[in-house]
Amino acid sequence: MTQQTTRRNARQSAIRIFAQEYSDANLPEEGSGEYDPSFIITKLGAKINRALVGGVIDRLERREGDNGPSYNGHLRDATGGTHRFNIAAFQPELHTDIEELLHRFEAGDRFLMMVIGKARWFESDDGGIFTSFRAEEFCVVERETYVRWLVDTAAATLRRLDAQAASLESDLTPAGLEAAGVPKDLVDGMILAKGHYGEFDAEIYRVGVLQGLHMAMNSSGNFEAAPTESFDAQPTASTEPQQSTVMDGVPFTPTTSSEPDGNVDDVIKTAISIADQGQGVPYDSLILAAVQAGFSRLVAEDAIDDLRDVKCEIIEPRFGFFQILDD
Amino acid sequence: MSDDDRYSVQVTVVKQECKEADEAEIIEEFRRYEEEFLIPPEDALRSVIRKFQAASGQEQSSTFAQPARVEKKVGRFADLGSDDKNVTIEVGVVAYTPRIQMVRGEEKQIAFGWIEDNPWEASDKRERWDFKDWGDHGANLAPSSVVRLEGVSVNEWNDKRSININRSSRVTILREGGPAVPAISDEPVTIVKASEKEGFVNVVARIIASKPDVIVKRDGSGTIDIVRGRLADSTGSIGFLSWVPIEHKVGSLVKIDSAMVKKFRETPEININDRTMIEIFHDKSFASTEELSEPTTVQIADLRNGMRDIITTVQVESWQSRTFTNAEGEERVVRSGDVMDPTGRCRLTAWCEIEPKPGDFLHLTNARVQYWQGSPDLVIDKLDQVSNITDKPWESIDPANHWVDVELTELVSGGSRRGITTSGVIVAVRSDSGIIQRCPECRRVLREDACAEHGVQRGNEDLRLRLVLDNGVSNASLLLARTPAESYLGIDLDAVKSEIVKEGQEGFVAGLRNKLLARNVIINGRALVDEQGAMIMAEEMTFDSTSVEDAAKSVMENWGVVL
Repeated sequence: MTQQTTRRNARQSAIRIFAQEYSDANLPEEGSGEYDPSFIITKLGAKINRALVGGVIDRLERREGDNGPSYNGHLRDATGGTHRFNIAAFQPELHTDIEELLHRFEAGDRFLMMVIGKARWFESDDGGIFTSFRAEEFCVVERETYVRWLVDTAAATLRRLDAQAASLESDLTPAGLEAAGVPKDLVDGMILAKGHYGEFDAEIYRVGVLQGLHMAMNSSGNFEAAPTESFDAQPTASTEPQQSTVMDGVPFTPTTSSEPDGNVDDVIKTAISIADQGQGVPYDSLILAAVQAGFSRLVAEDAIDDLRDVKCEIIEPRFGFFQILDD
Repeated sequence: MSDDDRYSVQVTVVKQECKEADEAEIIEEFRRYEEEFLIPPEDALRSVIRKFQAASGQEQSSTFAQPARVEKKVGRFADLGSDDKNVTIEVGVVAYTPRIQMVRGEEKQIAFGWIEDNPWEASDKRERWDFKDWGDHGANLAPSSVVRLEGVSVNEWNDKRSININRSSRVTILREGGPAVPAISDEPVTIVKASEKEGFVNVVARIIASKPDVIVKRDGSGTIDIVRGRLADSTGSIGFLSWVPIEHKVGSLVKIDSAMVKKFRETPEININDRTMIEIFHDKSFASTEELSEPTTVQIADLRNGMRDIITTVQVESWQSRTFTNAEGEERVVRSGDVMDPTGRCRLTAWCEIEPKPGDFLHLTNARVQYWQGSPDLVIDKLDQVSNITDKPWESIDPANHWVDVELTELVSGGSRRGITTSGVIVAVRSDSGIIQRCPECRRVLREDACAEHGVQRGNEDLRLRLVLDNGVSNASLLLARTPAESYLGIDLDAVKSEIVKEGQEGFVAGLRNKLLARNVIINGRALVDEQGAMIMAEEMTFDSTSVEDAAKSVMENWGVVL
């Protein structure tokens, strides 16, 4: 028998988190010992090693590697953000089930999924951190189960928002934070988050919460009366250009009659460099900029793909958000 | 507003991209995204376009393109190229010097120092390089330690190569370096706080019991004189074990520096050795020995193994007696039964003649607590510790329906308990859920037809489901034995067996996952809690039937959210 020298680490709980909060996070914490857990710490102080996330399947693909196939997927949740997840070649026990889902996805089926995953991240050469999950277990769920997750995740996010607000007034010590009412499980992450992230407007996370709760309240009713727009209108002034969607009253019919001015690549690159404040610029804003400059949507889409995949002048670090690649 | 109008703007865009797509299908897709997947049309636009493009065979480009970084594992610095990234290497740390440096206008703590490759060989076979630590890994880079670096990169400047340890790099200690400095706070803590953790503590407490004792060494080589006793303050009391003589008398108020809290049979205990300092402490307002020695009144939920001198009141649910022959050949009778109070239930064992009837209320004094099958049980030894009281301390509890609601986090951070109800979400279905074979001798699970204790056996079939219950803050293993598993599945063991034959073990578990994963459930049962975590033995598992509207309403009430 091997001697058990260290106590087994207790299992990490599955944090409920919306895509928006997770994809904004860029602070990893590595465990020091061989089997110590690693974490992603979000701006609201969630320390994430394992999470329970959900959404509609938005992308799913198989990639063949030397060690066998691996799978990448995107789940889009009610905050409009995307959770990326991955199933590795060394997880063959999950391959049968994901193949079945891949088959459904490729046949055009879309469905709600829940994933229990471990936090992982990728660091780009310029130091950017991109977060995703390695799936441990997953399943297709009914709408009811997903909506319940939205409610539970809204509650978990509100709890973090509350703790974050309390932390503003208190000392950044475990005792100080606990005295200010920060729950024990959030203290550690809150201290790390405060030391790493600059000031930010926590209210943007409340938008996702409201969205989730709103959907639960209207869950059994009809959707005709749902004024979803009211939740899109609140972001802070500084993030306004990124947050605006194609629907903000801008007519979307391309003005094909007028001559496009300039080169579409330049328009896109200029749009990124003006609007990028470190988080990247949303896809829809770039399309909008190109369309307003007189290019058709198709031309603009091709140009973005081309700039990203062929010319390698822009990157898409986060799904749907683009940055200039400067070397 | 009809669906056609609702989505007209988006439909126009999709039509532009996918000329062959059918308008009704596009509208249906937007409706599905909005109603079934809860994604508003403006957010769904790109997803829907992609879907119809795929349907018409239009090329899709992959946006997953993050070039997989290939790990480079080397033993020697000499094997590294000047632009190698994601390098794994084991090194010895020679020096580590932290420094504050301005990086893009921000003060950042970085560190530099020396590392040597080939750390397990003699020092003349090593090469020494500079390194910079950009990721605040100081805690793991103590001088003279040996560590494994993963995800580090090579930096070359003026023909000199060095290692960059980045924030995402992983540093694993393979051999500890300099003396580990335990984080000790000099402030004394209360007994309750001291009982919660293991490790060094300082306390101020009164000695309420102290007597010399002897430990016989296991190898028979002799005995060690020790002192056992009890320390108390107004928050509680804790046992102590001293390996050195204690000169302070019972009743002394003392300050104890650098004692060690260890757990023995689930019960925290203060260990005193020759490095512990004990001195008299003066505080006139500190509780007296008499006050502190008062037996404590507790309820069933607060019972912990090893407790003594407890006062409690219980309602009897059932009572039996059993005769057995002890090691000395004497015939003895032990009586025991299930008892309850408003906080839960447990067993009561009596080594004296009492014959209570179900429904009786017993008042116990000087009772002690013992673990039996992982749960704390009350024990009384003498008749004068028990009195049958006629005044009902509470309305009689119906044993058939007595489940005490305990929030999962509270359950996991407390002690073992019976008779609880808790809730959470199933986040894992273990793949060994289903039919197992048990050893006919000891009921252990057989592995490859063999018992760890009794060798190869023809096992008895049993059914169990192994799950994990999680509420986002805490989690516990969740075990459904045969009866609750059968009742949850709605089929008996034989039906499960034939399902496994038909679907295979993987198919059976996949079916369970689809039914159970991510679902909110309510569990009745008992909880066993130890250092490894908590395990809940379910007696009943049901899906939470709270409607999502009600769940949302209670969240909004709780957090003062108005839509």
